[in-house]
Amino acid sequence: MSLEHVDDYPEIPVSLASTRTMLKTGAWRSVRPVLTERTAPCTTGCPAGLGVPAYLDDITAGRLDRAFLSLTARNPFPRITGRVCPHLCEDGCNLPIRTGDAAVSIRSIERWLGDQTADVAHPQPNPPTGKHVAVVGSGPAGLSAAYYLRRSGHEVTVYERRAEAGGVLRYGIPDYRLPAPIVASEVARLRNMGIDIRTGVALGADVTLADLEATHAAVFIATGAWQERPLEIDGAELLESGLAFLESVNQGEARVPGPHCAVIGAGNTAMDVARVLRRLGADVTVLYRRTAAEMPAIREEYEEALGDGVTFEWLTNPTAIDKNPAGLTVTVETMRLGEPDESGRRRPIPTGETRDVRFDGVFAATGETADLSPFPPFMQTRAGNLDVRPDGATRDPLVFVGGDLATGPATVIDAIVAGRRAARAIDHQLGFDARWPMDELSEPVAAAETNPTYITRRARTDSPPVATVDPFDEETRTLTTGEVLGEIERCMSCGHCNACRTCFVFCPDGAITWDEGPVIDHEFCKGCGICVVECPGHAMILINEREVSHA
Amino acid sequence: MRWAVPEAEFMDPGTLGCQGCGGALSMRMVLKEVGDDAAAVLPACCWSIIDGPWPLHSLNIPVLHTAFETAAVVATGIKAAKRHQGKDTTVIAWAGDGGTFDIGLQALSGAAERNEDILYVCYDNEAYMNTGIQRSSATPVGTWTTTTPDERPEPRPKKDIMAIMAAHRIPYAATATSAYPDDLARKVRTAVAARGGMRFLHVLSACPPGWKMPADQAIEAMRRAVLSKVFPLYELRNGRDLTITVWPDREVAIEEYFELQGRFAPLEHEPQTVEQIRSDVAERWQALVDRHERTMALAGA
Repeated sequence: MSLEHVDDYPEIPVSLASTRTMLKTGAWRSVRPVLTERTAPCTTGCPAGLGVPAYLDDITAGRLDRAFLSLTARNPFPRITGRVCPHLCEDGCNLPIRTGDAAVSIRSIERWLGDQTADVAHPQPNPPTGKHVAVVGSGPAGLSAAYYLRRSGHEVTVYERRAEAGGVLRYGIPDYRLPAPIVASEVARLRNMGIDIRTGVALGADVTLADLEATHAAVFIATGAWQERPLEIDGAELLESGLAFLESVNQGEARVPGPHCAVIGAGNTAMDVARVLRRLGADVTVLYRRTAAEMPAIREEYEEALGDGVTFEWLTNPTAIDKNPAGLTVTVETMRLGEPDESGRRRPIPTGETRDVRFDGVFAATGETADLSPFPPFMQTRAGNLDVRPDGATRDPLVFVGGDLATGPATVIDAIVAGRRAARAIDHQLGFDARWPMDELSEPVAAAETNPTYITRRARTDSPPVATVDPFDEETRTLTTGEVLGEIERCMSCGHCNACRTCFVFCPDGAITWDEGPVIDHEFCKGCGICVVECPGHAMILINEREVSHA
Repeated sequence: MRWAVPEAEFMDPGTLGCQGCGGALSMRMVLKEVGDDAAAVLPACCWSIIDGPWPLHSLNIPVLHTAFETAAVVATGIKAAKRHQGKDTTVIAWAGDGGTFDIGLQALSGAAERNEDILYVCYDNEAYMNTGIQRSSATPVGTWTTTTPDERPEPRPKKDIMAIMAAHRIPYAATATSAYPDDLARKVRTAVAARGGMRFLHVLSACPPGWKMPADQAIEAMRRAVLSKVFPLYELRNGRDLTITVWPDREVAIEEYFELQGRFAPLEHEPQTVEQIRSDVAERWQALVDRHERTMALAGA
């Protein structure tokens, strides 16, 4: 056989059509992958239920407006909580469980987002409803309620007894943690939404509850817990109130009794008082009847107090205070720990052993209570507390309450949530749909479901301390954009597709195409499940085909 | 992280690869870097089937099916023809471990020794999977296959194909796996750029049916092969200069690699074999590290 010319060669079969035309391998499948949006553990950890992975994704993609909107749908004040929140979200993070790495520093990212969007106007309110709601108190609960009520379209007037709005944000939290200009700018942004904020109006003195009820469709009261719980010891009148001290310092009147000061109590207020005294140059000793393990202060604030050089005397209970020419003499009794009490913490038991310690000033910060005098007796329980439902409703159908007034001292984010919850209840009561999210969160993505292989492993970056000249300048700085983007790379994005493309990369069948996010071609997907297993945040699940065909 | 894997696809869906096929994934990832100015030669192997039944095929490049022992030499011929036509097409010989380690070794050795301008990719699933899981010389010691059943598992260690290729002093050879897509992609780019001579890629490719594991564990199995140092990732230039490209970032015991796969079940009853494998793995890893350091020292790094 001659093979001189191409025609001399035998014909061979050639495949010219693509398998795509006829080989629908999707028919092999018994399970199918589906993209889902599931709850992340940081979201369930957050009292406000913030969808953290979604707004982190928006940040990475440069959609800051959308990140700001999704955040403010549940918390209007990221600039504030980004600085002072106890960040329970981070306690829920799957990263430490899965890899041993530190949690993603969500609060620092929130702070950066808050600062980046500081000049973004809040959304236009809904069309006017013709209803006028009064808010009493301009702390986090009052401002939050005002924000959501205003967005609902109600006319809102906020009454504040002090000269400036902000409540505990302005007069309780020291400037080195939350600078006053930041609170002022958030208040200004609320005013720009059309919220009328009137300062110098005190409930009870300048206006009564009955006055407000007569002129408004509903009243939300969140006047906080500003009364120091009296200490029942001899010479208690010689004590200074920790909260009143913080208030005077935040008004620019720093008066330190002398070089040696003591603070009684170990809650968050006590930590603030001790740290402020330190910054004003005093030696500060915290006297606490239990130990570090039982103290109610947030761990971080305790550590910061240690960093400031505050000393702690544990198992030390003041029993009497006496004045003498050299200052104050505090008689303290040494305690020991007994069995746990109803709070679950070990109970301090007196040992009978006492000693005297000398200070120039002693501050009480053993817990604050609310002033209930503006409320008529029928609104109170027999024990003397306000009778409040979880949504803030009281025995008076026109009156809702929230924040520390209702719960006793709690966190800023708890107050913000209380404000949102009450706004929703008031909205409902006034005949409008409940418009602010309060949905129950589903079971969060478990650590075992995540795949940390493809995230960037590096050390956690938190808002770092900065050297300041004025001890009341903000003690930490906001992260840079680069730091934030790097920190977000550590996040597995539990339950939320952040378009990382891992599923696309590993599909053995090329059955995933990309259109901003993964598009699974069910004509060809064989249901191997690799995309589901490799997805870092388990934002994909496998469902049985039977459930689809029988649906 | 953000993947550096190109979006372009040169493998259409509808392939006949099994669920979770590592061989199909290897092809998809390799072609993403090679592009469509390419032609592939397939000897008898899984990919003879995966590409699709006549008159269908899935790759967006010409494919020539050929006899088991001839991948390297047919690729050589096609490359000669392309060169004659004045074209710079990348010609890929794409063969399984049977067509590389066993049946195609002579043709491969010849092409390597002549330094033919082809890209030879061995997608290694460690047995003759297409014909029903018979052992090859790439099957690791202690493995179950249909020809090395549980009572008499594979008695011999896996053939060191990279050492054979090194002995040919070819310009570029590398190990890779699709569990490390960026590493794989970079090696394909390096191999394509090293045109003019023989390039060899040894790509470990999981086979869920043959490895006796769930399809969704394919990537995890390949990843553990690397992390446990059973299948180290490195590249070799001119048969001499060796550099390790992926340093395991966590300790994974060889047992963690074995336990994912039913084919290693016989090892449960052979602790002395496991210990032998452990010391072999450690010894080979140390040898690679030594060569890596020598390469770095020579490069003045």
